[in-house]
Amino acid sequence: MTQGLVARLKSLPAARADFSEVLATSWVGTPAGELARRRVHLDGRSSVALGDLCEVKGEPAGRIRFEGDFSRVDRLAAGLTEGEVVVDGSVGRDAGAGMAGGSLEIMGDAGSGAGGAAPEARRGMTGGELVVHGSVGSEAGRRMRRGLVVIGRDAGADAGFEMIAGSAIILGSATGEVGIWSKRGSIVALGAVKIPITYRYACTYEPAYLRVMLRRLRTRYSLPLEDRQLAGRYRRYSGDLADLGRGEILAWSAE
Amino acid sequence: MNIRGVFIEDTFAEAFTMRVARIVITGRTLRWAREAALKLTGFATSVIGCKVEAGIERELPEGETPDGRPGISVLLMTMSKDDMPKRLIERIGQTVLTCPTTACYDGLPHAPDRVGVGSALRFFGDGFQASKVIGGERFWRIPVMEGEFLVQEKFGMQKGVGGGNFLILARSAEAALEAAEAGATAMSSRPGVILPFPGGVVRSGSKVGSRRIKSMIASTNDAFCPTLRAVTTSSLPSEVNSVLEIVINGVDAEAIGAAMRAGIDAACRNGVVAITAGNYGGKLGPHHFHLRKIMGSEEKA
Repeated sequence: MTQGLVARLKSLPAARADFSEVLATSWVGTPAGELARRRVHLDGRSSVALGDLCEVKGEPAGRIRFEGDFSRVDRLAAGLTEGEVVVDGSVGRDAGAGMAGGSLEIMGDAGSGAGGAAPEARRGMTGGELVVHGSVGSEAGRRMRRGLVVIGRDAGADAGFEMIAGSAIILGSATGEVGIWSKRGSIVALGAVKIPITYRYACTYEPAYLRVMLRRLRTRYSLPLEDRQLAGRYRRYSGDLADLGRGEILAWSAE
Repeated sequence: MNIRGVFIEDTFAEAFTMRVARIVITGRTLRWAREAALKLTGFATSVIGCKVEAGIERELPEGETPDGRPGISVLLMTMSKDDMPKRLIERIGQTVLTCPTTACYDGLPHAPDRVGVGSALRFFGDGFQASKVIGGERFWRIPVMEGEFLVQEKFGMQKGVGGGNFLILARSAEAALEAAEAGATAMSSRPGVILPFPGGVVRSGSKVGSRRIKSMIASTNDAFCPTLRAVTTSSLPSEVNSVLEIVINGVDAEAIGAAMRAGIDAACRNGVVAITAGNYGGKLGPHHFHLRKIMGSEEKA
């Protein structure tokens, strides 16, 4: 089985690069040469071909692997609808913003707005899976409507801000409050988390769906999830009661 | 053909195409998964009177279930595609949703036909239910007094086979029962098959229709009733005083054939005169399980 496409960064871009047009339209069957012609915007002023920044090779097989330091690359896999995207290192802002399908796995850290929404957009992610093995910046999962965001380490401020629905799982600590203005979103906190005052404690129980979800994530993405987290008890807080209030924060009780 | 002195009649079991769903029930312990499975498969021996045929397929170790808890796999079968949704919804709703600690998952994820189950049961949540998509599959979280009941939105349905069978003709009731128990034990827990009758064994084999009441679908198989030997056209050898039947349903003909081979071999023991099978002349069911072909043509020691 072919490994799919590989995009190896030639050198660190001099300006911040916007990759939002690279994978937003159908790409899983696109040959390397054609993908290399897709445009990348530099600092919002000029644009170059992806091939000018990355060496793109391999055969299309529904997968692409980005190799190198993409920390100065923003909006990587924004609007993704299909396929498997893996980034070997860290990425910049708004990775996977507005994703609608497929999976984006980032082995390093991600900047602010991961899995979030563009400033003008009413909705963020509407599907797919974004898994960041490292930490993320602020406002991860902002306005997400469906889909899954997993943060392997710590989350910056305002994770799950204005979530409409969907799930965000934070394996490390969450900075500040999470799930502010959430309507139906689920935030699962395995580390330290501050519960907003607009959430109300419901009970401590074992959510059956988390067993299925965490078990799958451990297998699919090799995340360091322990059996006691899969089978553990979680404190359930309902909120945001300042909004629709159908969302939840499930905080692992570490018992 | 003889197996350990038991005559294998040159005949075949005639079976029918049915629709099958596999239901995976998990629980905090195997006990609770089994409690739900026993209720779900209760009163499900024959479509003639129960509308479904169901049975426990096997126990599932923790590594084989979606949530990593011990589980039970159940096969539930109906005669038509249209029957399946209602039967799944009413049985899972009344027996698994109600059972402490259990969750319920689809055991035929690759079956092309999908039946909405969680999508109907969710309404028990009275608007408080919530769903999660995990790995492309939607699950419903229904709040219950204990906590939450988790059920998959859709269950797979595929063609299966119902009505595989063989009859044990024995010198005594004791010998028939011992052989039937041995046969059922040998067939139980085999992947892909269930024995829908009590303990896997049927004492009241039936024939199509009735001699006296036209509206009856089935009535006693008088040709195999020892007590009627003197007053009906009997199919029983003179030394036979008791007959028991084992009925086998499965996901496909291969699974049933393999189970019948194991069951017949185990049933061939002291006190058994012959093994035969029930059929309708081959005109009704498309699946024919020829006993001698299944058991191989050579004599066994």
